[in-house]
Amino acid sequence: MNKHWSIVLLAVLFEVIWVIGLKHSHSIWAWGGTAFAVVFTFYLLLLAGRFLPVGTVYTVFTGLGTAGTVMAGVLFFDESLSIAKVLLLAILLAGVIGLKTVTSHDAKEGDA
Amino acid sequence: MAWLAIITAGLCEVFGVTMMNRWQNEKKFSMIVWLIVSFALSLALLSYAMNSVPMSTAYAVWTGLGASGGALIGMIFFGESKNWKRILFITMILVSAVGLKLIS
Repeated sequence: MNKHWSIVLLAVLFEVIWVIGLKHSHSIWAWGGTAFAVVFTFYLLLLAGRFLPVGTVYTVFTGLGTAGTVMAGVLFFDESLSIAKVLLLAILLAGVIGLKTVTSHDAKEGDA
Repeated sequence: MAWLAIITAGLCEVFGVTMMNRWQNEKKFSMIVWLIVSFALSLALLSYAMNSVPMSTAYAVWTGLGASGGALIGMIFFGESKNWKRILFITMILVSAVGLKLIS
């Protein structure tokens, strides 16, 4: 796990926070926290784009964000976990791991 | 109209990702402004479309359009790798993300 991918993962974490926030915020503090999470997410994405191809960053961000919100729904909000969901999550994670493996060879580092 | 809104929302998202790419090359503050405007417009159009199209369908099409468009633009205009393995893994992530949004 290198530093640049950790930035993408942190962006995903904040994305999951604000997606939950959009659905469940009821106070001004919750809305403020949600807004902060949105801004911080995009800051992290722009930062990650300095080191990794933007197309890769955005795809991983979208994919893991989806996986994260599905998992949060199952863990915290009583949504069901079907076989289809588990299967799709597995394909998604395999894709992310695969993309990380091939990106280490053609990352932007060095040719900027 | 709702479908036109979803497609436009997807295009706005692709435009936003393109601005992310250009920001890496040019560091002009206007890129950040365009990025914010396009993502805000994209989400506004998406939520408008969700009034008449089921949420999971709208979300799935929006994700699929935005992320695949962003990846294609990266390959065509910003010199990102067109390695078949990279395309395969991006496709796996996209197909499963769209699938999850359809069934969730």
